[in-house]
Amino acid sequence: MANERRAEEVVLRSISGLAVKLWATYFILFIYIVFHADAMWRLSSVRHKAVPQGRSLEEFKLKRREHEKVLRSARKDNLLVSKRLLLCEDEDETPMDAASGDQVVHLVQKLQQSGQEKETHLKALSGSLRNPSAQTVFIKHENSMHLLVGLLSGSQAQWRLLALQCLHELSQSHQPNVTLACVPATPYLLTYLSGQSTKLTELCLYTLGNLCPGSDVVRDKLLAQGIIPALKNCMESQRSNLAVVEAVGFTLSQLLQAKDAAEKITPAVLASGLPSLLRSVLSPDPQFGLAPAIECAWCLHYLTCSTVGSSALRADGTLSRCSSLLVALGGAVSKGTKEEGMELLVWPLLRSVGNLLSSGPPGDMGSQGGDLLPALCALARAFLPSHPALALESAWVLNNLTADSSELCAALLDLNLVPELIQLLPFSQGINTMLLRVLGNVAHQTNRSCSQLARAGLVPALCATLRMSEPDVVALSLEVLFMLVAGCPQAAEEFVGQNGVALLEAVQYNGDGEIRQRAAHLLEHHLPAHLL
Amino acid sequence: MSVLNMGGFGGKDTPFRFTPQRIHLGKDHELFEDGDIHRHMYLQNLSSSETDEQPKHRYVSEFGCHISGCCQRFRSVEEYEHHYNSLHRHVCSACRRSFPSARLLDVHIEEWHDAMFDILSQSQDMYQCLVEGCGLKFRTSKRRKDHLIQIHKYPPDFRFDKTKREHRSVVPQQAGGAEVMEGVCEAVLPATDPEQHQEEEEDMETVELQAPSGPGEQGPPSGGTPQADAETVSDGQRPRYSYRWVVIHGCIVGEGFHTQLKGSGFDPRGRHPENNQTFYISIH
Repeated sequence: MANERRAEEVVLRSISGLAVKLWATYFILFIYIVFHADAMWRLSSVRHKAVPQGRSLEEFKLKRREHEKVLRSARKDNLLVSKRLLLCEDEDETPMDAASGDQVVHLVQKLQQSGQEKETHLKALSGSLRNPSAQTVFIKHENSMHLLVGLLSGSQAQWRLLALQCLHELSQSHQPNVTLACVPATPYLLTYLSGQSTKLTELCLYTLGNLCPGSDVVRDKLLAQGIIPALKNCMESQRSNLAVVEAVGFTLSQLLQAKDAAEKITPAVLASGLPSLLRSVLSPDPQFGLAPAIECAWCLHYLTCSTVGSSALRADGTLSRCSSLLVALGGAVSKGTKEEGMELLVWPLLRSVGNLLSSGPPGDMGSQGGDLLPALCALARAFLPSHPALALESAWVLNNLTADSSELCAALLDLNLVPELIQLLPFSQGINTMLLRVLGNVAHQTNRSCSQLARAGLVPALCATLRMSEPDVVALSLEVLFMLVAGCPQAAEEFVGQNGVALLEAVQYNGDGEIRQRAAHLLEHHLPAHLL
Repeated sequence: MSVLNMGGFGGKDTPFRFTPQRIHLGKDHELFEDGDIHRHMYLQNLSSSETDEQPKHRYVSEFGCHISGCCQRFRSVEEYEHHYNSLHRHVCSACRRSFPSARLLDVHIEEWHDAMFDILSQSQDMYQCLVEGCGLKFRTSKRRKDHLIQIHKYPPDFRFDKTKREHRSVVPQQAGGAEVMEGVCEAVLPATDPEQHQEEEEDMETVELQAPSGPGEQGPPSGGTPQADAETVSDGQRPRYSYRWVVIHGCIVGEGFHTQLKGSGFDPRGRHPENNQTFYISIH
């Protein structure tokens, strides 16, 4: 009996031990997945272009810096265009050598004959077409595109896919004539978006996304052929397949980035029902990662940039959705969780909220506004070292929140966020200018706000910003100082006590006439006469 | 996106214009540049990792000297204050030389710009020792200099004990509103080469000899002649006119300011009797 019981106990203990171990394993796996979501999205089953193997990190960094310069100058000319290359598992990225021009012609001729080795030839052709000069040779060769479209639309599934891969390589080209040459294929690409093969769908999407930018003709044709309803249907029906959702988001973002998108594309997108689908994808999936949410968020940003987009989206819950996501992300960074690539999601959300706030009647954020304020401060602080522009955009959203809202100005004070903002005032590139606007918004409210600002340490902060070299900073500092001392006599006394009079006298020698005028006015009218 | 807008807190009779304003940014706004570039680098698989942080000093505001024409920049408020207090506080408004302390400024004014001093010094020991607390006075500046070297171990080329020439020290003359300040920004700059100091001193004195003398011992300068600046010199070519920085006339700055000064009477130190602040403008 005792033996049995002991055996029973042993069995029970071992089972419970095993259960504990299993649970622990699952838990660890869960944590691994959640916190390595960034690694997961890069390693998902359809690979995107990988970091070049075998090159040194330094070379890569150098290439990246140079490329960044190219992108910046392209943006200045409104020519910022990116293309994505989708690689299937068995492919690798290395381009073929220069002899592939002749090879292309040879392969096309082979394909034009009826024969059994079409698969081999198509695979070889798609490899050759990675080479830009081969692409030019291909499109110049008579009937080559006709051949490809024939295979794309034919009854052989495998040939369709391989022909599509060839088209996908062609879509990488930045040459307008190559892009234009692909136009005959577009009706089929759109048709396959509602097909059953997700592999085909995804490849079609990236090909379409690559063809959109850089050519008005191609875009107009795609719009006429119904790309927007097609994208919407695709996203709706493939909602559970996040790789496809990511691809739809990418393609839509390429469309919306066009110069004339606000007139030609945005209204159609708004009417299609896509925005609500985009919103529904915004929360990152712990397993798949951030990528689909990133694409959809950038689409929302491009939509809210236009006034028509902004007012439409304000009415339907986009502001609330983006704000709650920012609150969640702000909460995460303030706890120290900062996933790689998170800024790619934060950025478009900030912009969407910022522009949505700038349109329409002010002050209807409800309680969400109060949650958003500390989240924005946390995001600014967290991303300042690596991405100062993101901190600036957080400050911009803070400005738009506080500009016409006495509740949110009061909340900023009550939540004791002013010292945090003051800590960010040393930072330039527009950050301190924007933060001074925020502080100005608060000072503009009531005398009580001014007293609270003074108690939070604004006076010594202004003594520092008044000495900064940027004229904008000095000008805004004078404006804020004026409101502060006009609203709160103690602030005036504190300023004088900190040698502010001598500082303003120095400011009277500034090269800018308006700055001199303001400094003089403050000295004459607003600082206690008996202390002068 | 302008910084200052119409309307304002103080009403029409103040120059202040700030008003809270929501800002809308278009797709192509320059403020969005960095974010767009980051997005496209990601699309092209060229994203950097978080460890590639930008060096912080690149985007921390520098402090700048307000004095128009003085282009100095500083990394901290302390540096700024040091610069300002050293170069723009104790300035002789007659000849615009800058001194590191109020005492040296006072001694300079007394010895260079005071007619009574010139008269009295012919019969009494008037040149006081520059070392505070010493109290000794001497008949000539040479004797004082010897005293400084022998007793107080000063260097023979001490910058703030220059011999005043027989000719009245001239003041810069210039048509138009701006007065000229010579060499003061280099007065206490640590990087200055002592040899240059030597050259510059000689040069200043040479120019003083060449230039015509001013209207008299006392009284405000009427304008200015330029003085050479050794620091901008190269290959031994000394420009006749070259300016280190420019001080704006009191009358340009603000009427109220000018009125205050006018009412209090001229003082070459430019001291406002009420508040004991030293200004660095010239009165004419």
